[in-house]
Amino acid sequence: MTNKQPILEIKHLYAGVAGKEIIKDLSLTICEGEVHAIMGPNGAGKSTLSHVLTGKPGYEISKGEVLFKGQDLTKLKIEDRANEGLFLIMQYPVEIAGVSFMTFLKHAVNKKRAYQGLPPLSAPAFIKLVREEAGKLNISDEMLKRAVNVGFSGGEKKRMETLQMALLKPSLAILDEADSGLDIDALKVVSKGINDLNDGKRALLIITHHQDLLDYIEPDFVHVFANGHIIKTGDKTLAYELEAKGYTDFIKEASCESC
Amino acid sequence: MRELLKNIVWLEDDNPVLFAWHQKGRAAFKEFPTKKTEAYKYTPVSEALTPEMLSATAHVKEGHCDHGAHHLPFDAYEFCFCDGHLHRHFHESDDIEVMPIDEAVKTNEIGAYFAKIDLAQYPFAALNTAFLKEGLFIRIHKTPQKPIVFLYHNKNGGFKNIRNVIVADKGVKAEWIEMFEGKDEAYFLNIVNEIFVLNEAKLTHHKLQHEGEEAVHIALSDAHVKEGGQYQSYTFEKGGKLVRNETHVMLNQENASARVNAAYDLHGSCHIDTTTNIKHLSENTRSDQLVRGVIDDKGHGVFQGKIHIAPDAQKTEGYQIHKALLLSDEAKVDVKPELEIFADDVKCSHGATSGDLNQDEIFYLESRGIDETSARQVLINAFLQAAFDGVENPDIKNLYPSD
Repeated sequence: MTNKQPILEIKHLYAGVAGKEIIKDLSLTICEGEVHAIMGPNGAGKSTLSHVLTGKPGYEISKGEVLFKGQDLTKLKIEDRANEGLFLIMQYPVEIAGVSFMTFLKHAVNKKRAYQGLPPLSAPAFIKLVREEAGKLNISDEMLKRAVNVGFSGGEKKRMETLQMALLKPSLAILDEADSGLDIDALKVVSKGINDLNDGKRALLIITHHQDLLDYIEPDFVHVFANGHIIKTGDKTLAYELEAKGYTDFIKEASCESC
Repeated sequence: MRELLKNIVWLEDDNPVLFAWHQKGRAAFKEFPTKKTEAYKYTPVSEALTPEMLSATAHVKEGHCDHGAHHLPFDAYEFCFCDGHLHRHFHESDDIEVMPIDEAVKTNEIGAYFAKIDLAQYPFAALNTAFLKEGLFIRIHKTPQKPIVFLYHNKNGGFKNIRNVIVADKGVKAEWIEMFEGKDEAYFLNIVNEIFVLNEAKLTHHKLQHEGEEAVHIALSDAHVKEGGQYQSYTFEKGGKLVRNETHVMLNQENASARVNAAYDLHGSCHIDTTTNIKHLSENTRSDQLVRGVIDDKGHGVFQGKIHIAPDAQKTEGYQIHKALLLSDEAKVDVKPELEIFADDVKCSHGATSGDLNQDEIFYLESRGIDETSARQVLINAFLQAAFDGVENPDIKNLYPSD
């Protein structure tokens, strides 16, 4: 474990939105090959973390440090964070009328290539690549021709998110399921996509409210998030403990332990 | 305004037929419209015109036309106007009959298909008639094998008048494309198209306007559609200092229909006015209008859309929608929809929206590695291209913005 390179290092982070501090003194290190789960009650600000990391406008860091593969993530533009290898599987992917998935994917893939100093893919090479990855996820050509997420079911949207992840091959994927209802079928597809991608060099951060999710993607570490930071870290069994006790009691106990 | 008028050098042709038209047009033209003229209150053309634009008529050496850079990616019947002058070499064809307008008006051929516009009501049509000389009469006898393309290249300053007459004969299906390109000289282009779509014919009229930054471009297309005929008009505008693109459609007989779509992409202090007037004059007629505008910087967009349904025009449908994206604090749009409905069994609607680009959409694209400038452009093109969804010919569709 000591030989593993850290991908994400969060050190004493304080952050929030609209002047309200939501993350307070959060520290977390994620190394390559690791799967981390952050769990916590609804409204605890778990999603704020994914927004802060991706650079969503409006979210601000007041104190602390975030390093992504050794460099200051907070200094990078949103698109550069993505091109450096950060990928957020969104809870509610945006619908974009008038832009076909194919066009959107082509922009995304070629921007990343340009960032890496590679020439854009030729149209046939690009189509071949997309078809290959789409096939694995049961995504039809017809779906690829449609406008980005428009009229897609929740499960279809998740599949399309997974396709983007497969094409962009991120170093760190964040699966934000903080407060959405759990769609088991969608989850199976996403988890398969994540498992296919994991070659020991990548990492995954799952943000969730439900313990059930962890039956599909097995975490190496489970962190319990409350009051703006991690109050307890353990292995997978911690998730079951949470399930048995419920958040309220668990947090109460954990808070007492630390005092 | 009197000052402007003084700068006009009126045409006095030796030919009695042309002379008569010139006199008629001149008598009907009173003055350039100002803010006080209701139909031009958002687009006071007189304020954009200068004495220099009017005093000089552009000169181009006969036979010299270096439209050079333009290569159409498909085969077409091409006709070129250089600085308003028709470049005279025509394609021989069984499908289409072609005649310069100054010759056509002297023949019986043009007969019922000329000067159907009320000159007293439309000052620029009157002015255009007073300068009747350049333009084409095209009668489409058979469905042509390729599109008909008019290229208008404007290099020099001055005043340019063009009058075209297009007749699509019974049952033909044809595509007519107008492409305007200009350099940054100050010129005034005044063009009038008279269009006749006969029974069961379908004419698709495309217009791609990319005039120079100092140009004043005034265009009127007046279309008459007979029984079962279809007139489809697609316009994309992104040039000019002041532009008025006015489309009139008369759905004269049963089952006639019209599709009038337009999109404009405005920058700088560009002003683009899209004005439509669709008249449903018979039963079972239908019209659809979809207009989209993107306005940045100090641009000013105008949409005036009128749907008129005559008392006899029962069971008609008329729809109109205008959507604008305002990308800066100083961008402005004026929208004036008008419905005049005199029949009771009709379906009719109009709608208008305006807003900015969606920040969540921009963020989504950025979070996938696409920089903000590119993300905005992707979204702008997607917004504009909705006006061209219905374009069937893929070669022509490629001329418009696409995602």
